[in-house]
Amino acid sequence: MMVLPFLGLAGAAGAAVAGRRGLALGLWGLSLLGLLLLFRAHATDVLALDF
Amino acid sequence: MVTPFLARRLNLLGLLACCGILLVAFWYQFRFGEVPCPLCQLQRAAFAAAGLGLVLNVVHGPRPSHYAVTILSAAAGALVAARQIALHVVPGTGAYGSALLGLHFYTWSLIAFAGMIVAASALCLFDRQFAADGESGPRGRGIVGTGCVVLFLVLTLGNAASTTAICGAGLCPDDPAGYELLDRFLAVPRP
Repeated sequence: MMVLPFLGLAGAAGAAVAGRRGLALGLWGLSLLGLLLLFRAHATDVLALDF
Repeated sequence: MVTPFLARRLNLLGLLACCGILLVAFWYQFRFGEVPCPLCQLQRAAFAAAGLGLVLNVVHGPRPSHYAVTILSAAAGALVAARQIALHVVPGTGAYGSALLGLHFYTWSLIAFAGMIVAASALCLFDRQFAADGESGPRGRGIVGTGCVVLFLVLTLGNAASTTAICGAGLCPDDPAGYELLDRFLAVPRP
């Protein structure tokens, strides 16, 4: 799941280079949405902290 | 004043800085064995998302919508970084990962995202850069620009590979101890 924003953004960068600006912006929007949903799932993570 | 040519070069500098941040994160991950936590990975994704706005400016020429991509992504990244700082802000609650120049990476991350928001917003003030420069495509970005965009693409794909190795196909563990998928593939016994 966490890989999806990276894949979307890599696809967006590829689309930008290929001249598909609209596709790049669409993939960016989806990736950002995915990032925010994943943040919602991980915002209260408990970490093993180094005291 | 900021011409389209100068705006592209400034965006290229920003893209280089973005790549530098992702490279430093990889350096600490592989040189010192610091496996990134889920919030750390989300901050990396936000850097990649903000970098995409810079890529669009370098490849297609500066546009307000490209700056918006950088600003909105940096705002999302700042939200994640601020949450991670809040987890550790109370004295005695410890920290995650090592520090660089006295600050932990999530603190540096918040500073970098804030800097990106300020820089992109300030650049938006110069309207002349939005005039058509007729140099979209390879001619406009040059060899250095092309190299930078390729580096950004490689780093984003590298983060995708690293994240898959750590988390597999599901949600990441709250406190990752290693490369779950890689260990499973190599049949490394887990403690």
